[in-house]
Amino acid sequence: MGWPPPVSRRHAGHARSGGLGKLKEGAVAVPPGQALMPRVAGLDEARRRIRLGAMMPESRSGERAVRSKFMLIFRGGAVARRDLSPSELQAHVEKWYRWSDELARQGRGNAGTALGNPGAAVRGHERVVTDGPYAESKDLVTGSMIFEAVSLDDAVDVARTCPTYEFGGSVEVRPVADPRI
Amino acid sequence: VDERPAAVSSNELVEDLFRKEYAHLVSALTRVLGPSNVPLAEDVVHDALVSAMHAWRFGLPRDPKAWIIRAARNRAIDIIRREQRHRSFLPALATTTALTGTIEAALAPAAESVSQLAMMFAVCDPGLNRETHVTLILRWLCGLSPTEIGHAFLVDTQTIDRRLHRGRGRLRQLGRLPDVDDLPDIGPRRDSVLRSLYLLFNEGYHGSNPQDPVRPFLCEDALRLTELLLDAKATAHPDVHALAALFCFGAARLPARLDEHGVFVPLEDQDRSRWDRARIERGLVHLARSATGDHMSRWHLEAGIACEHAIAPSIQQTDWDRIVGFYQVLARQSWSPIVALNRALAVAERDGIDAGRRELIALAGERKLSRYPFYWAARADLERRAGCHTAAREHYEHAIALARSPAERVSFERRIASLGIS
Repeated sequence: MGWPPPVSRRHAGHARSGGLGKLKEGAVAVPPGQALMPRVAGLDEARRRIRLGAMMPESRSGERAVRSKFMLIFRGGAVARRDLSPSELQAHVEKWYRWSDELARQGRGNAGTALGNPGAAVRGHERVVTDGPYAESKDLVTGSMIFEAVSLDDAVDVARTCPTYEFGGSVEVRPVADPRI
Repeated sequence: VDERPAAVSSNELVEDLFRKEYAHLVSALTRVLGPSNVPLAEDVVHDALVSAMHAWRFGLPRDPKAWIIRAARNRAIDIIRREQRHRSFLPALATTTALTGTIEAALAPAAESVSQLAMMFAVCDPGLNRETHVTLILRWLCGLSPTEIGHAFLVDTQTIDRRLHRGRGRLRQLGRLPDVDDLPDIGPRRDSVLRSLYLLFNEGYHGSNPQDPVRPFLCEDALRLTELLLDAKATAHPDVHALAALFCFGAARLPARLDEHGVFVPLEDQDRSRWDRARIERGLVHLARSATGDHMSRWHLEAGIACEHAIAPSIQQTDWDRIVGFYQVLARQSWSPIVALNRALAVAERDGIDAGRRELIALAGERKLSRYPFYWAARADLERRAGCHTAAREHYEHAIALARSPAERVSFERRIASLGIS
């Protein structure tokens, strides 16, 4: 197994409680510049929080990590914007392709769905049907994606690399509940 | 290390598909709804492209172009039905069946070049100036936003908006977009269209934006639109083939024009093996087809010159005699200081440096040239080759002071640096 880049190493740190116990600290080479960094959990956490979405969590296929399913719920983003030119729209959709291609390359089994708008809502004992939702466009759910990650942190790191933030979108990360014992 | 090869993307969009479909569909809708409905056409097509971007994020449809056309059709029918209560469209849109049929026929790929030609000839109206022609072509036939047009021309967006406003107003007066076969003034309009496409190409080949002086996509668009003129009998003219040939030869050289640092590479230093052979072949076909009729246009002459450069294996093996000949005729037909400058350089290659120098010095009084960095660089080049390094340095410094972009400036600075070594 090669050296996972710093991003993965931070996951390793977090994931120790989440099923990655087999990864031993001493078993991996430490990259230059990281060697003297104290392994303080809080510091790692802070660094992880301030890191921008540019870094892509690397494939962890070499590790026998237990993966579980997560869902990303996309809200707002480019679809809520009126002012994008044809080339900006094309460049944006191409970023989504590069993103999902990269996740597929990592073997994350990602599959996404785009949602149209508006639909309808059915509520209550009386099955009352209403049009909508007519939420504010930035809050509107525009799609979802299911994929595999080793931990919530790993899933959050994937969510950070999504292109949607370019035009003000937001992403909710949720573990998919596992019905197996 | 993960050694699996990266998965090959199945999601490859045609380059500039969104821009091209914007141009196609705005022209098509304007042709069927009339030029007073340009804003409606723009909205419909924009909505269709946004929904494409939205729906395609997780995978491309099998036929992306057909998908966009379908989305625009649905959107157009929706909006027209809704608006019919408030205003009247053409009678052909009055009933639902008629509306659907008319819109579908208008947006069909079969009508694509007819619509875009009608749009192009409508915007090159004699009542509008050249800048407005080019602006409208960039907006409606290349699908650039006002901000992107402003960036291309280094003009603020308000100016672009004013030109677009003027263009919309003029088009509204037309009442409808005539097909090119029905235009009474097809000749002068064709000249106007060709001149605007020439400006568009130049904007890509050596544009006004100092940070971004070479933009191949504008050259591609100019060539695409020029070749569109060859689709219709009324507009397929030998001059059009000549202009297309000129664009092919120019575009062929684009890959070698800038080095990896974005600095202009002079013709004599360009790696000719990087010129696009297929483009040159296409240029030769256009040039051969341009050789009919008795009219030798400016485009014929410029294409002839560009052809000599494109097919020559090196500067030394270039047929300078033919090039000087073309410049001679060009100067007689439409003299300009730039034509004279280029002629002088060709003379230097054919008759020797002294002959070229004499011609260049004779042009020193031209006001346009005294502010043109390449005039001073040309003089410096000849001084350098004559061994007069002091004069060469002085002229290069003059060129550097006048340089309009880093790509130009660094290219001159390098030539100064080469003086020290040679």
